Amino acid sequence: QGTSVAFGGMRQDSSLPVEISADNLEVDQSEGTALYTGSVVIGQGEMRLSAPRVLVVYGEGAGRIQRLEATGGVTLVSGDEAAEAERADYDIDAGTVEMTGSVLLTQGENALTSERMVVDLDSGRAQMAGRVRTVLQPQDAEGGGPQ
Amino acid sequence: MAARSPGSYSRIVSWLKLLLPLVALGLLSTIFLFARNADPTANIPVATARDLAGRASQMVTDPRYSGTTDSGASVTLTAARARPDPEAEGQIRAETLEAAMAFEDGSRIDLAAPDARLRDSDDEVQLSGGVTITSSQGYRLTTDSLTAAMTRIEAQSGGAVRGEGPAGTIEAGRLRIEETGSEGARPGDVRLLFTGGVDVVYEP
Repeated sequence: QGTSVAFGGMRQDSSLPVEISADNLEVDQSEGTALYTGSVVIGQGEMRLSAPRVLVVYGEGAGRIQRLEATGGVTLVSGDEAAEAERADYDIDAGTVEMTGSVLLTQGENALTSERMVVDLDSGRAQMAGRVRTVLQPQDAEGGGPQ
Repeated sequence: MAARSPGSYSRIVSWLKLLLPLVALGLLSTIFLFARNADPTANIPVATARDLAGRASQMVTDPRYSGTTDSGASVTLTAARARPDPEAEGQIRAETLEAAMAFEDGSRIDLAAPDARLRDSDDEVQLSGGVTITSSQGYRLTTDSLTAAMTRIEAQSGGAVRGEGPAGTIEAGRLRIEETGSEGARPGDVRLLFTGGVDVVYEP
């Protein structure tokens, strides 16, 4: 069963420049893979994806990044929402972030956990799948919870 | 014939017959006896050590050095001019040096710098004055100075590195080029290690 939730609230243009900052970058001269290590932060527009290790997988053609594989405990922050997981694959061209491994999504006081979540940055929607559980904070009388 | 009276005239002549040859002999001897002060060795064109020190006598143009590392990569250094460094003993100064590291799998890294100092004893070349590093992986970087080994693949930048990578512009605190000693790496696997903070901007 899957749950679709709003994520990040506003639309994001996936053609914005992507900044990657880290402590170290190791480039293998023969294969050409690039491995960022040491508090890596990938930023695009409002979205920040931070992880201890990010591997860049290049696509065909010069200078095309196919996707970024962030591993070792990932935090995705966009707008006022945050999501955590063990691993995230950020496909820049498609503008999607696929998070896997005990995903925890917090929206205000509400929290959702699942095995997998795919965030579409352009539309600001997130699709959660795999044992989705929701934790709702009881609102006081006049507030009224969002769900 | 009557005996001549020993008149004064003939006496004078007989004395002159004696004096005049003596005077001639004296004149003749002045050619040899008076030493001229001209010192014949003074004007022989001999270059003294003072002249030689002024000019770099051991200048080599278009020098070329090449070595291969035990992993099969080849390092080739070429320069416009090279001469011994007047200040430092056993050190060579080269101008517009280019170093090419060609690896077994065909990829290569090229270094170029206007000024370089080579010290053969510890097989190291120090490039300075603005070094450009070009890797066949699509990296074109510049840094101020770089130290590279001549008989193995190892280079370390002196300071910050800036430039273009396959993924866009890149800036890092330091660059190190070395052979991967890590596990699962074939010998001859070379990696570029950017450390000290890395910033990359990628334009999708």
